[in-house]
Amino acid sequence: MPSKRPTARPVEGRRWKVEGPAPTQAVKSRESRVSASPHPAKPARPAPARTTDPGPRTPDPGLGPRTPDPGPLGGRHVRPDATSKVAGLTRYVGDLALPGMLHAALATSKVAAATIAGIDTSAAVAVPDVVSVLTAKDIPGQNLVGVIFTDQPLLVTDRVRMVGDRLAVVAARTPEAAWAAARAVTADLRPLSGVYDPVAAMAPGSPTVHESGNVFKTFRVIRGDLARARKAASVVVEAEYHVGGQDHAYLEPQGCLAIPEGQRITIVASCQCPFYIQHAVARVLGLSLAAVRVEQAPTGGGFGGKEDYPSEPAACAALLAWRTGRPVRLLYHRELDLQVSTKRHAAVVRHRWGADAKGKLCFAEVETIMDAGGYVGLSTVVAERANVSAIGPYDVPVVDVKTHVVYTNNLFGGAYRGFGAPQVTWAAEATLDKLARSLGLDPLEIRRRNVLDARKRVLCTGQKLPGPVLAGEVLERATALAGWEGFKARRPAGDDHLRRGIGVSLVLYGCSLHWGGQKLDRSSAVVILQPDGSVIVRVGLAEIGQGNLTAAQTIAAQALGVDPSMVQVWQPDTTTVGDSGPTVASRGAHMSGMAILDAVARLRTRLDPVAAELLECQPSEVELAGSFARVAGQAGRAVPISRVAAEMASRRIEAISTGWYHPPEREYDPRTGQGAAYEFYALACHVARVAVDPELGLVKVEEVSASHDVGRVIHRDALEGQIQGGIVQAMGWGVSEALPLKDGVLQNPSFTDYVIPTSADVPAIKIDILESDGPGGPYGAKGIGEPSFIPTASAIRNAVCDALGIDVDTLPLTPPTVVAALGDRHPHAWVLEVKR
Amino acid sequence: MAERIAVTFTLNGEKRSFQVPAGRRLLDLLRDDAGLTGTKEGCGAGECGACTVLLDGRPVTSCLVLAASVEGCEVVTVEGLGGAAGHLHPFQRALVDTGGVQCGFCTPGVAVTGAAIVALDVADPAEQARLLAGNLCRCTGYTKIFAALEAAREARHAK
Ligand code: FES
Ligand code: FES
Repeated sequence: MPSKRPTARPVEGRRWKVEGPAPTQAVKSRESRVSASPHPAKPARPAPARTTDPGPRTPDPGLGPRTPDPGPLGGRHVRPDATSKVAGLTRYVGDLALPGMLHAALATSKVAAATIAGIDTSAAVAVPDVVSVLTAKDIPGQNLVGVIFTDQPLLVTDRVRMVGDRLAVVAARTPEAAWAAARAVTADLRPLSGVYDPVAAMAPGSPTVHESGNVFKTFRVIRGDLARARKAASVVVEAEYHVGGQDHAYLEPQGCLAIPEGQRITIVASCQCPFYIQHAVARVLGLSLAAVRVEQAPTGGGFGGKEDYPSEPAACAALLAWRTGRPVRLLYHRELDLQVSTKRHAAVVRHRWGADAKGKLCFAEVETIMDAGGYVGLSTVVAERANVSAIGPYDVPVVDVKTHVVYTNNLFGGAYRGFGAPQVTWAAEATLDKLARSLGLDPLEIRRRNVLDARKRVLCTGQKLPGPVLAGEVLERATALAGWEGFKARRPAGDDHLRRGIGVSLVLYGCSLHWGGQKLDRSSAVVILQPDGSVIVRVGLAEIGQGNLTAAQTIAAQALGVDPSMVQVWQPDTTTVGDSGPTVASRGAHMSGMAILDAVARLRTRLDPVAAELLECQPSEVELAGSFARVAGQAGRAVPISRVAAEMASRRIEAISTGWYHPPEREYDPRTGQGAAYEFYALACHVARVAVDPELGLVKVEEVSASHDVGRVIHRDALEGQIQGGIVQAMGWGVSEALPLKDGVLQNPSFTDYVIPTSADVPAIKIDILESDGPGGPYGAKGIGEPSFIPTASAIRNAVCDALGIDVDTLPLTPPTVVAALGDRHPHAWVLEVKR
Repeated sequence: MAERIAVTFTLNGEKRSFQVPAGRRLLDLLRDDAGLTGTKEGCGAGECGACTVLLDGRPVTSCLVLAASVEGCEVVTVEGLGGAAGHLHPFQRALVDTGGVQCGFCTPGVAVTGAAIVALDVADPAEQARLLAGNLCRCTGYTKIFAALEAAREARHAK
């Protein structure tokens, strides 16, 4: 869907000039702040040289800086949503109630594999205060959900494929009555033998989850001559990694409110993609897309768990609202949310990697088996990212990667921060350490010898990285920050019984959507200049805590030269902006920002002539900065932007503008995995220092040092918050968050038993921000949400292995896992020895 | 429905009376009967701290408190933390200033617990972290919340 309009590519001129031969020269670390303290420095105004004219239409590199006021970009102004949130005034969907509103509940299967002989709702209907109990036959449209493949019914009719499959939905006057009625729904379920191990599911003769077979799809990256490379290697490491899943554990459980209105309906939902919900509800109710309005409610965390999944509860609430003619609210309770919502895919990753005697990688073979659960959901796109991320930011001439999406009767695999990349990164970074050990190299040294750089800039997909390649840079900076050199000599020994270790991991993160998702990769914005000079901004990307409102506000304020406080960004609503795809893949600030810049550019085609008249200059001379429109280079000749806005209003000039952006078309061959999988990439390195109790197997992460190439900082607090939050969430995945299953049933669906990090577990976090010139989003900014997560757990794993001198190839590193891995090296192994 | 019990207590500085079923949770009274939706439910099981309110000055998880049991007590919710309406407690202010708010769903509970920690004047960061450990936050990694605790403590001493 090529856009006819010019796409916003700001400050083009700054990009080409830094294409230098060596990354050290290309990096403009204008603001490479190293922060060891939790106290952020007071708002620093960015240096004027950083912000050349933000106007996207006039790159004009020859003119130099035209804007004397640096604007809010890169600063720390107060987040627009912070004050209401801290005062308890932000209204999440659970805080919204309407007169006559009913409460919904779900009757779900407690077993994972069965055929359905019948569903009996009579006892549920008889519960006092129940208004409606519906099953699949009550669906007016299609009984299907699913963003990419529609293999999943909204309400099951003949077969149960995983725990949580919905048998019936209930609406009642009170939530208590609704859930009581849901429990009273009985189903005649005839157990089937299920399959609960993705490796076993691939074997011939295994019970099948869908008739088409259990292996839904396999993705490949193939590059170079494997047979020859194998011969050239002087050391080969083979390993099998068992990487566990993860629950998002957003603090606000899933929730939505459906409000019917004659032949159309409004949905207010906690979600990351109102457009997915719009499509799902239209399909289930048999309505046109235009008859379904979806407004994103303030959302209490998402992390991927509110990407596609909210379409399911929303379609349930919509069905009940449609049938009863009354508003219906559905709020999950925590246990249900943990049991049935999507999870990070558990994966088995098999490696055979070879290096020459100097430690240079010769080849890498990777086979990843991803447990999709009962339906495919977003598993294919998760696998696409895992597939091309399997080698990391390393120069490997010969690559053979297979990534399988496999059905089982386990939990529903879905989107989760990192989208398949964390699992394969965990394995890749472990294998690198194993290779280093076999060669007698330091883990830092083997990475130095293999990272991509200015000369070696070709990814495993054959894509040549444009711009500075900062893998070596972030590696050196993060290890320096952590005190890598000399750590082993300083390693405290004997003063307590804990063992200390240090580990490092890199990540190469492809920003925004993979080639396979290109058709969803577009973004819409609306900018309305009010007569008083304030500005309304609508974007299609959602605020889920990550700071998208803040980023959009900052970018709009920067582009219009106004104070951020004059800009109000409102939550997405499908009736105000075009479909902008999901808020995932670290694309929020990137995609909304580019669309805003386009909208501002188009607004300025009408604003600049009015300003020019007031200023008595040419429209091309008008610049916007510091709340003024002024003649470029002449600070004295200025009028307030509010005056220009009032003038536009009084002359009835259109002060509303739309913006649109999509990245350029890319070429990619899905059969070989060769081509431009992503438009541009972010690099990061994390170094973890741990203390391990060898008796208990307890891992304490003491410190994480992170160096990130972010392109350009948009809002410094939001950026740091993403990094800190990503590190701690990844630490939970790496060491404590296990999802034990028994016949597909989650055994720990509570925050007591599913252990996410608390404030008492937080390591010291050191952050190093690297700004660089190269391809990026608005003002050159790159996504941060996922790069901040991906390398942490692997750095922790490597640190634990360093501390104990063993390999732990199972995630998470819970005490039993660590003790088991210690085996004979456990301090009390002799006890077991005696017992044997 | 079961018989109703009269309960009278001070809510955000104002004397209020409610008729509640015996099993009603304080959380539901606050949200549904008093219309104070700032207090959130993240788990309903005393595990996450999103529902934290001050009960006679001490932070409690209101999902585990029976409404009928607060007779004669003083309850302060996130809405009342700053005293008069529209005012913020110094710790709330500090959370805004340090960027300690992301999705905001844990924030009301964090604000209430944090205000109690500031009142205790705890200087040791490890002890601060331990006192906050009943309030889960999935977004921030807690680091900026610690900064806010420290900033609020400093502001208190600057007075
Ligand atoms: S809702 Fe009360 S502790 Fe979670
Ligand atoms: S800010 Fe989202 S849970 Fe704390």
